[in-house]
Amino acid sequence: MDSQTKQDKQVIDIKARFSANKDYPFGDSDDEQLWITEAKQGSQTAFYQLYEKYHRRIYALCWRMLADKDSAEDVCQEVFVVLWQKINNFRGESKFSTWLHSVATNVVLGHLRKHKNWLQRVFSIEEQGASVQEPSVNLTDDSTLTLLDQHIARLPERARLVFVLFAVEGYRHEEISIMLKMAVGSSKSQYHRARNLLKESLLANGFVSIEEEINHE
Amino acid sequence: MSNYNPQEHMHLNNKISDKTLAEQVAALPIEMTPERDLWSGIERAINHKSQEISVDKQRNVFMPSAWAASIALVMLMSWFTFSPSTNEESAPELVKKQEKNSVTQGQLVNFMQQNFKQQKQTLLASYGQPTFDKLPEAMQQELTQLSDARASIRKALLTDENNADLLNLLDFTQQQELKLLQQLYRQYQVI
Repeated sequence: MDSQTKQDKQVIDIKARFSANKDYPFGDSDDEQLWITEAKQGSQTAFYQLYEKYHRRIYALCWRMLADKDSAEDVCQEVFVVLWQKINNFRGESKFSTWLHSVATNVVLGHLRKHKNWLQRVFSIEEQGASVQEPSVNLTDDSTLTLLDQHIARLPERARLVFVLFAVEGYRHEEISIMLKMAVGSSKSQYHRARNLLKESLLANGFVSIEEEINHE
Repeated sequence: MSNYNPQEHMHLNNKISDKTLAEQVAALPIEMTPERDLWSGIERAINHKSQEISVDKQRNVFMPSAWAASIALVMLMSWFTFSPSTNEESAPELVKKQEKNSVTQGQLVNFMQQNFKQQKQTLLASYGQPTFDKLPEAMQQELTQLSDARASIRKALLTDENNADLLNLLDFTQQQELKLLQQLYRQYQVI
């Protein structure tokens, strides 16, 4: 197993442990099943309960993928409107939260494609992506964001999308390659690029490389 | 979920390596709170949006039309396989009447075809000229099969003069196609 694969596995293991935690708040409770059933029958009250439970999580996904507060809010709304229309397609074969996340991911990617020509986006961003970009998000703008989130928002778009989908959302590179219409290898290289850019960006903001620290000692 | 403390996370670890980065990613908050109220906009939107019927339910809804189309096809196949050849002596009354009225079978077929096209056009117009290719693939196939069946009967009628049964079959196929279209577009009014 090469070092890169080990690191990827490490990320997955951490996420798996996190998901296995009893306090993980996104299990499908009995209430949730009831809300889903009633929402399928057209109950807006039940649908509101689902919204109340999940909208912060979906907003976080939108924010991380779009790196823009206003767009994230708009797209989060769009996700729940699409959810209302498509909820009858949820057949309980997976957890509702998993299914909702796939709906949300598709809506975000659709939004990105709709609002800018995909190729144009790729070419313009990839040119800029050779080095760490000027921050699109002012690091002092929003104190509610983690430092890491602020740095993720500064990544070039494709690298950011792959990083969020793989490292945060837990999709496999094969799935990401289909979603983003790229080769599996490109997804992997974008992920490694994102990780290197993140470390570079964090080091520039006062973080210390462990390797560097050892050398100094 | 516990409240997120940004300070705690920002100073979680100021030494960065692949491992610590992975740990910090895993520790990212699952939730973020939007600044504005999103529900009011969602509520307004869903008041005007209908819910899609699940794929399973759609299958059930389309069962009768699928049966009707299948029956039409079976009748058509049976006709071509088992129908006796017709001649002037055994020609049915309807055909004899046509001859007496000097209306040829070709003219009648054309009339039926024009009439069918008009009915189909009126039907499609009443549903806002929906797009055929947005129907489910299985339904597109049903419609194509019926349309092909109709074309085959018309072709057969050109070579088989004075055949009232075949004329009736053409009429039946046309009506089935119209019924199927009506059922489909009533279901897919949003298309």
